[in-house]
Amino acid sequence: MNSRQRVLAALNRQPVDRTPVCNPTSVATVELMDLVDAPFPNANREPERMARLAATSYTELGFDSIMPVFSIIQESSALGCKIQWEQKDNWPTVRMREPIWQTADDIRVPDDFLDHPDTRCVTEAIRLLRREYGNEVAIIGKTMGPWSLGYHCFGVEPFLLLSLDNPGQTKLCLDRMKEATIRFGLAQIEAGADALTLPDHATGDLVSAQYYARYLRDLHIEFAERLKVPIILHICGRTVDRMPYIAETGMAAFHYDSKNGPEESMAICRDRVALVGNINNPETLFSKGPEAVRAEVVRNLEAGVNLVGPECAIPLQTAIENLKEIPRAVRDWHNDRARIN
Amino acid sequence: MPELHDIANEFIRQEIDEFIERPDERARIIGLFAKASEQMQAIAAALIDGDHETVDRLTAEAIAAGVHAMEVMDDGLIAGMAIVGIKFRQNFIFVPEVLSCARAMKAGMVHIEPILSAAGIEKLGKVIMGTVKGDLHDIGKNLCIMMLRGAGFEVIDLGVDTSQDRFIDAIEEHGANILGMSALLTTTMPNMGKTIEAFIDAGLRDDIRIMVGGAPVTQDFADEMGADGYGKDALACVSLAKQFAGKA
Ligand code: B12
Repeated sequence: MNSRQRVLAALNRQPVDRTPVCNPTSVATVELMDLVDAPFPNANREPERMARLAATSYTELGFDSIMPVFSIIQESSALGCKIQWEQKDNWPTVRMREPIWQTADDIRVPDDFLDHPDTRCVTEAIRLLRREYGNEVAIIGKTMGPWSLGYHCFGVEPFLLLSLDNPGQTKLCLDRMKEATIRFGLAQIEAGADALTLPDHATGDLVSAQYYARYLRDLHIEFAERLKVPIILHICGRTVDRMPYIAETGMAAFHYDSKNGPEESMAICRDRVALVGNINNPETLFSKGPEAVRAEVVRNLEAGVNLVGPECAIPLQTAIENLKEIPRAVRDWHNDRARIN
Repeated sequence: MPELHDIANEFIRQEIDEFIERPDERARIIGLFAKASEQMQAIAAALIDGDHETVDRLTAEAIAAGVHAMEVMDDGLIAGMAIVGIKFRQNFIFVPEVLSCARAMKAGMVHIEPILSAAGIEKLGKVIMGTVKGDLHDIGKNLCIMMLRGAGFEVIDLGVDTSQDRFIDAIEEHGANILGMSALLTTTMPNMGKTIEAFIDAGLRDDIRIMVGGAPVTQDFADEMGADGYGKDALACVSLAKQFAGKA
């Protein structure tokens, strides 16, 4: 199997020669930026640099996938949000204190949404990557879900208060914003993405599991139906309480956070949705050494997690050595097992 | 010692019974409400329910009827917020619910603040809060601010992406002696340490007490940077501030 076949098989919960290593969010680090001369903020705005930085996850780190969207704001920028693009050492971000929408009636997904430089950058980067690596590595795109777009376009607090005050209006907002999710997703599939990450931050750190069921389950079912490549749902933070719902959506995979144990998560998801994750970012990848990384990789493998990788966008100052340890540990574990059997 | 049945308001009794599990907290909260009038209990109940219109109305009525503003604040609003904080910490409620309680708190404070400031009644202390440079996560910081205000502190919120200079300027401008910094990114955590150094360079470090928090921050990290305290949640933030203000 090559990397692409391995990732696609694992996303479909089919047999693999070894567990693939994958980060469906972002692998950008300052070290990698220097290595290929693709620093932020340029790597978030220029297709060639974006593709070059993304490719390092395969060429330098030995992961089985390439994911060119390092941030969560490309489409929000195209929708009209004000963006702080930051510098090499930080991620760009939406100025959520200056919301662009107040009610469902304000919501407009512009006709030329996909021609905006910041959405185009992503589709162009995917085209470049497809051409260069398309047969060997899985190219993963990213389209933000309507809940996260709600934070960006309405501001987090107004949006969360709306969800409590007026569920009908909230549903209407989500339904209108979902067009951005679908259009951007389809454009990336068209450009050559093998799979899509779909972050939608309805995390247990912010909202209850009932919220997920009330507002997002049906929309996520719809995404899984309409976007005809494997979809990897990403929600960071505590999510075990909503995994039973997520497992029913028809999403191919769920990218889960280290706040949830691999064993308890697998017990819920097994046979229904593949799991991707969940190496801890701040405490392990960023602060500890390869030994600690290896221990978390092994724990995921022992639990039967389908694709192993960091829990979320890795901290930009993470050492390359720690990241390289992930595929190394996966290979060693599989070799040991082969020897024993 | 007061017991649960000493509290007249049924909603409050139920809330305590269902959500306040730790014996020490249970005793403290029952004590708080047992001494509160029925009218104040009703204000607290509406606040816990996130019903800002009722809090607005009941607070205005109480003030008009001659209840002291301090009593409304302590026995109504702050007592209600104490239950909200614990429910949130224990995951019985989530951020939207806390935001709605904070909105209710604000609706009550609108009536109380002018009276307290006209009477020159001192707040527990003055706190400057902000999320550090390069970081735009503010939900946790905002919850801390709500709980600090809910506990009787005056808080100046510098928002997100706050530079060292803005922290320093704010301390000087407002004459505050407590500073709280929040960071949610490993990339921005070091900016807490840099801000502390900037206070040392400006010769102001000894005048203030600094607390830090945010998901990736730890006690060790806080010690290493030379902060005076680390708080893992909004309730811890309030106890630190009280300790710094000598009101613990
Ligand atoms: C919501 C969220 C967002 C929202 C932020 C909205 C907002 N206005 O705040 C959005 C979606 C916009 C977002 C964006 C990003 N995020 Co984010 N986000 C989160 C998430 C899911 C929850 C954070 C939260 O609000 N928690 C709830 C609150 C209540 O908890 P809290 O903040 O910890 O606060 C409590 C305590 O810590 C304490 N506290 C907080 N401050 C203070 C201060 C003092 C003085 C004291 C005493 C106590 C205290 O009290 C609070 C109340 O109890 C976390 C995951 C997680 N589980 O933490 C990721 C997370 C923080 N994000 C992460 C990342 C990577 C990002 C992005 C870079 C993503 C990207 N690729 O672009 C951007 C950052 C942009 C930027 N420059 O800031 C990573 C950070 C990794 C790292 N450590 O470096 C996390 C940890 C996810 C992960 N598992 O990797 N994010």
